[in-house]
Amino acid sequence: MTFDVADLQNSAPLLLLTVAGLVLMLLDAFSRSKLVGAPYQKKMPAETSEAYPLPVAGSRGYLMPVTVLLLLGILAVVAWLPGQIHGDHGVFMYRDMLVLDRFGLLVSGICIVGAILGVMTAPAFLRAHGLEMGEYYALVMFSLAGMVILVMAADLVTVFLGVEIMSLGVYVLAGMWRKSQRSAEAAMKYFLVGAFVSGLLLYGIALVYGSVGTTLLSEIRSRAPVFASRPLFYIGWMLIFVSFLFKVAAVPFHMWAPDTYDGAPTPVSGFMMTGVKAAAFAGLYRLFAVTLGDSQNALQAYTGWVHAAYGIAILTMTLGNLAALHQESIKRMLAYSSIAHAGYLLIGLIAMAVVGDSARGPLLFYLAAYTVTVVGAMGVVGWLSRDLRGGERLTLDDWAGMGQRHPAGALAMTIFLLSLGGFPPTAGFFGKFYLFRVALEKPSLLPLVLIGIANSLISVYYYLRVITAMYFRAPAPSSEPASEPLSSTALSVGVLIAALLVLGLGLMPEWLANLCAAAN
Amino acid sequence: MSMILPVITLLPLLGVLLCLVVPREEAALHRGIGIGVTLTAFLVSLLVLSGFDPATMNHVVKWAWAPSLGIHFHLGIDGISLWLVLLTTFLMPVVLLSTVNAITEKVREFIIAVLVLETGMLGAFLALDLFVFYVFWEVMLIPMYFIIGIWGGERRLYAAIKFVLYTMVGSLLMLIALLYMYIKAHQATGQWSFAYDTMRNLILTPQEQLLCFVAFALAFCIKVPLFPLHTWLPDAHVEAPTAGSVILASVLLKFGSYGLLRYAIPFFPSAVAECAPYMQWLAVIGVVYGSLVAFAQPDIKKLIAYSSVAHMGFVVLGLFMLNPRSVNGAMYQMLAHGISTGGLFLSVGVIYERRHTRRLDEFGGLWQRMPYFAATLLIFTMASVGLPGLSGFVGEFLVILGTFSATRDAIGIPAVVEHAKLLGAICALGVVLGAVYMLWLFQRAMLGPLTNPLNKKLPDLTLREGLVMLPMLLMAFWLGIYPSTFLSDIDPAVVKTLAAFKEKNAAGPATDAPRMLGSTDAKPAADGKPALPAGHPAPTAK
Repeated sequence: MTFDVADLQNSAPLLLLTVAGLVLMLLDAFSRSKLVGAPYQKKMPAETSEAYPLPVAGSRGYLMPVTVLLLLGILAVVAWLPGQIHGDHGVFMYRDMLVLDRFGLLVSGICIVGAILGVMTAPAFLRAHGLEMGEYYALVMFSLAGMVILVMAADLVTVFLGVEIMSLGVYVLAGMWRKSQRSAEAAMKYFLVGAFVSGLLLYGIALVYGSVGTTLLSEIRSRAPVFASRPLFYIGWMLIFVSFLFKVAAVPFHMWAPDTYDGAPTPVSGFMMTGVKAAAFAGLYRLFAVTLGDSQNALQAYTGWVHAAYGIAILTMTLGNLAALHQESIKRMLAYSSIAHAGYLLIGLIAMAVVGDSARGPLLFYLAAYTVTVVGAMGVVGWLSRDLRGGERLTLDDWAGMGQRHPAGALAMTIFLLSLGGFPPTAGFFGKFYLFRVALEKPSLLPLVLIGIANSLISVYYYLRVITAMYFRAPAPSSEPASEPLSSTALSVGVLIAALLVLGLGLMPEWLANLCAAAN
Repeated sequence: MSMILPVITLLPLLGVLLCLVVPREEAALHRGIGIGVTLTAFLVSLLVLSGFDPATMNHVVKWAWAPSLGIHFHLGIDGISLWLVLLTTFLMPVVLLSTVNAITEKVREFIIAVLVLETGMLGAFLALDLFVFYVFWEVMLIPMYFIIGIWGGERRLYAAIKFVLYTMVGSLLMLIALLYMYIKAHQATGQWSFAYDTMRNLILTPQEQLLCFVAFALAFCIKVPLFPLHTWLPDAHVEAPTAGSVILASVLLKFGSYGLLRYAIPFFPSAVAECAPYMQWLAVIGVVYGSLVAFAQPDIKKLIAYSSVAHMGFVVLGLFMLNPRSVNGAMYQMLAHGISTGGLFLSVGVIYERRHTRRLDEFGGLWQRMPYFAATLLIFTMASVGLPGLSGFVGEFLVILGTFSATRDAIGIPAVVEHAKLLGAICALGVVLGAVYMLWLFQRAMLGPLTNPLNKKLPDLTLREGLVMLPMLLMAFWLGIYPSTFLSDIDPAVVKTLAAFKEKNAAGPATDAPRMLGSTDAKPAADGKPALPAGHPAPTAK
């Protein structure tokens, strides 16, 4: 067994993320807590009865800038590493368990950018709701490390490791809002489903290993034509497929998602909707689009996953959108819309298998556009919906007249919603355009595209409903105190950056499109 | 390289930035910025006229936007878009001036919405790249949605959402067709391109043409709006504020007919040959139906909205008769409708600001109190009816003349002229119906005894309102008295467009693989496969 020192350099993002997480935990442990009264009360007030203690600037205020700086540094490393890749195939590390390639680095970059924006928007929310705990930052780092493992995985075992490390952090994050029963429900549901999914994944891996005799993805790819007709192989891949569909919240494996996204603390929901989804899609890409064959390889025919994905994409888009139509809560609407977007992303995955490598760029671009948009949108939701009596005010009625009460936040939300709905000149429009364009290259995908288009029409209705409420309706006359927007520089800057990215990617998509297209 | 076109397109966005800098409270300053910027854009746009060659694209700019995808920021102007662009830039300062009393809340937001809308409209008229066209086309949607939704009437939420969803249905289908053509053009030429010329020279199979034509035509006919896709229009018009109604009627509707002439007709000749009779009949039904329904409206704005359905029916009929006379008439009718209906909506705005009602039976005998206003309204009414010497006459006359005189060999498609005489006759009847409801409107509002006590103290036009009406009145006369100002630019471009259509139609549709007009030999596509099967019949291009 040999150990190559270059592996340390090539897996730098992963190592640095882990170290950064540990550093943050230490920093947290050694900073005195002034907030003992707020988050650690013995008797928690019920969600709506008693007023929260007034937010106090905690002694942990410096953790957020430190985290952002650390993440920026890691992002710089991620941006530097592609120069170290020579040739087309990436660099294998740790006895072929991980692979360093442009695809993995780009998805890591997307996850990290999403996490930076999420971390910037989080502390004001956490403080306002008495949740300011240093563990948040450390858990985000660990979870990110899991995502990086997953997107760099070259072996089924590392795939499993990545999924587990990523999910463990998120289980805790989802439940960190300890006063909220819905947060507890979110964490519990996510954890139970997650445990179940881990079982499925592991079982699937075992069956594939049993049928092929290796867990290395490249080996499976080369040996598979011999073994592909075995039922074990088939069942194994289907189990793996289903477990990933759970993670990306595709219909009919989405039941946990609305409650989890809705119940988790808003910045965490944003993180789950973007980072986890992006990493899981990268996993799907590696396992299915690459390992099980591109269009030249007949292997996909054996497993039939493309046909399954075809149906699931249609179901996911349609049911996600139809369910989002009726939501009165903006956060829950975004949760369902996130399910629908998983359906559009599945089109990209299918195109990857049917059309070929040219679909990779659109898939990645869509992931990037979706990530900045959703992180921004969830940032605004956390920003504008704080209720002084505790909890959040998320219904459309609560948001009526927001355009007047908080013009900046409402404008940013409008930009994000237009991007989600696919209006030019936003990143979301270009993502959809790019995705549908590549899917149209094969006539067999035309129905999928038409259904996707019909769905984006449906989605326009419910996105516009929020804009309508914010701008066209007067605030509901009532004696209740309205929601009190958070006031935080980091939060506004984070949302501003996200909004500028959404517009910038829509107006100047070329550089990212080229980057995505070249990310082999 | 002339920079006029990008300057007028992006100038309004500069105004948006200015508005964002100026504090929200300075409403007067915001109005000043709005009027100043739109007026500047109008003056700059007049520069286009010097050395203008209507038959080709002038002042072309082509900047790389996303070149790897074949997307260029490509603008140009020819005789078809010239007067529509000038109509747009001309109307915007007028519209903004008309809103001084009507829009008093959220002035900054209103000015910003109007300026963004202007950029969208100009960009869409000038675009020579279909991606750019689509982007600007969609950009128009959101400000209009806000204008209806924020400053509109009671049912504004419903009207605003309906407006967006109707438009989106068509434009998303158009996007699919556009992407399909983009991919087919790549197969035929080996290059990715959204350029207008590439798309116009691309020849698809009859079936593909039909599907793409339906998608494009649906997007445009919703915008026109062609019967039976018109139902969003009365809601949008009635609920929109005066300024919104004027922009909607005068410019936004023109995108439907402009799109048909610029894109749908030249792109898909074999589908046009097949569908033209249906389009003609729908147009004529629209003329009669719009007129009849307008007659029954108690709400003045709704009446004018339905009159738009009728007037735009003329335009679509003219376009699908496919001879130079009728298409010239359609183009002219677009301009005339922009002025006369814009003027009518402005006039409704004047009395709405005074009485806050648009119900026809609330008025009567206003002539006694408001003689200047009555004269103005009379001129716009007559222009709308098509009185010779005013704007509406020339367009309607040319359309009907073009319809009657259409001959079989003019365009080479027999089906187009099959029912020409009957269509022309029904259309002439539509002119009569138009006269009936418009004169009825004028009579009920302006003539007779002044019975309603609320109307007894109405002031006449103010100086500002006069300044708003004056340019519109001048244009109504100019369009009516000296049409060759406009037709001398429109006609060469129309003739050229129809010649290109005829040439492409004569070349016949593709049999299985797409090909480019004028290319007989198989060009290798990017993947090295020949785009044309061997033994493909050579096109009979001149």
